[in-house]
Amino acid sequence: MKRVLETGTVVALLVLGVPPADAAAQSVFTEVDVTAGHSTEDVQAAGTQVRVFGEGPKQWRLFAEASWADVWGPTSDAFGAAYPYNNRFRPMEVFAERTITGQRFLVGTRLGRYRTPFGIYNRSDHGYTGFLRAPLIRYGGYWALSNNFLETGASVVAGTSRLQAEVSLGIPQDEDVQRRRRGFDRVARLQTAAGPLIVGGSYIHTQPSEERPWAEGDTEFLGLDARWMIGGVQVRGEWIDGRSFAGTRTYGGYADLIVHRPFMGPVTAVARAEKLDYLAGQRSSFPRRYTAGARVRVASMLVAHVNAIREPAFDGDGPRTSLDVALTFTARR
Amino acid sequence: MRQMVLVTTCVASLVGLAGGNAGVAAGQRDAVLVGRVAAGGRPAPDVVVWLDAPGAPREPRTRVLEQRNMQFTPRVMAVQVGSTVELPNNDRVFHNVFSFNHGKRFDLGLYPTGATKRITLDRPAVNRLYCNIHPHMAAYIVAVDSPYFATSGEGGVFTIASVPPGDYTYHAWRSGGHELQGTVTVGSNTAFEIRWP
Repeated sequence: MKRVLETGTVVALLVLGVPPADAAAQSVFTEVDVTAGHSTEDVQAAGTQVRVFGEGPKQWRLFAEASWADVWGPTSDAFGAAYPYNNRFRPMEVFAERTITGQRFLVGTRLGRYRTPFGIYNRSDHGYTGFLRAPLIRYGGYWALSNNFLETGASVVAGTSRLQAEVSLGIPQDEDVQRRRRGFDRVARLQTAAGPLIVGGSYIHTQPSEERPWAEGDTEFLGLDARWMIGGVQVRGEWIDGRSFAGTRTYGGYADLIVHRPFMGPVTAVARAEKLDYLAGQRSSFPRRYTAGARVRVASMLVAHVNAIREPAFDGDGPRTSLDVALTFTARR
Repeated sequence: MRQMVLVTTCVASLVGLAGGNAGVAAGQRDAVLVGRVAAGGRPAPDVVVWLDAPGAPREPRTRVLEQRNMQFTPRVMAVQVGSTVELPNNDRVFHNVFSFNHGKRFDLGLYPTGATKRITLDRPAVNRLYCNIHPHMAAYIVAVDSPYFATSGEGGVFTIASVPPGDYTYHAWRSGGHELQGTVTVGSNTAFEIRWP
């Protein structure tokens, strides 16, 4: 743990040591997150992410992110909300994008390596935003999708601020415990926004994990996601249905409540209920999980997370209650 | 703690277009007030300076504070009370702009790329804006009850145009510092500098 924290500190200092560009003309930003956490599942975790992003030539925007993180203790999905904790310093998203916005339309493209645009998929939707674990349907070990799915290819988004369609074509290049086999990925997403309600539908056709040699056929999922937010209260969720390989079916989803009302000051309260049904004969599995917690802005650059997790009995294990805590330091130049 | 204005020599100048007489009555040609702000001995950008002008006409306008590259641009904006600020999301991620501290309290909710939300600032205040999804995003909109205001740029220099010559109480605000207040004579052709220790 000490070595990890030292590494994170060194990275942070290196980033902070980069002289900033002239503030008025600054077009490139550097950002670093350093996180340390502990779970009562006897898991310790630490990680750091470094991002460089900003304006490139001809109105292209550039984004590059690298991540290192590791956990110590028994196998657990604790702290895997949006980054792989596998003791590897690896690039994550590295892309160039350009978006043209008119009075009534927008069109944009993204080239490079980016998170699979299925459902609620952005880093900022899952990483250190209140939940310390990925939803069951978004953790690579649960026969569904993963927040660490990455595509190398091109995506195009077109539409208006109220109705947008996004299509991505590429090859899988995951940074996950389970990595998908090479193949041709197709992802499509349609999103509409009406007042405080945002609803999306997604489709993905990809490959199963290469670490499952007995898994035949393709991976295919449909998803529905929604977010509603008003007055500091956000309700969001996703539901997916499909198969991770031939002969199986996986369906499930999660619903999040995220509350940040004025009287709560620096505290954001979060709660999640989720389920996942994996139908595969004798290997079937039906995990359920309930999470309650908070994100507390301790200082301008320091955020604390606390999650209490209750998992009913499944797969022969008894019910389990866990407490995850983490501190995340974020700096930007 | 409030400090009085410190008038120094020539780094900045007060340019009196009407001839530079202190205490000149309204009705003469307007002047341009140019000054410099320093904090800790160094030029201070993003400082809002405004002049009290109780009888001056209100000229609320519409300004744009952009969300781009997961930050607010500009980071500090000054507007006159009654102005509307548009907050377009020009990132490919959702943003959620809110202000729960001093000033106007609002939460604009999540909105996607290409969408724009607006707020109208109807009273003088320092409004601190954040994004609930990106904790490092922060900006200030300083709503002032005066048409005579400016924000200092790099080098700490600010310019307030079209000010009737005369004596004014000025205010200066910067992030992380206390508000300064003092007096300045517009049209006196004297260098004007505001300093935080």
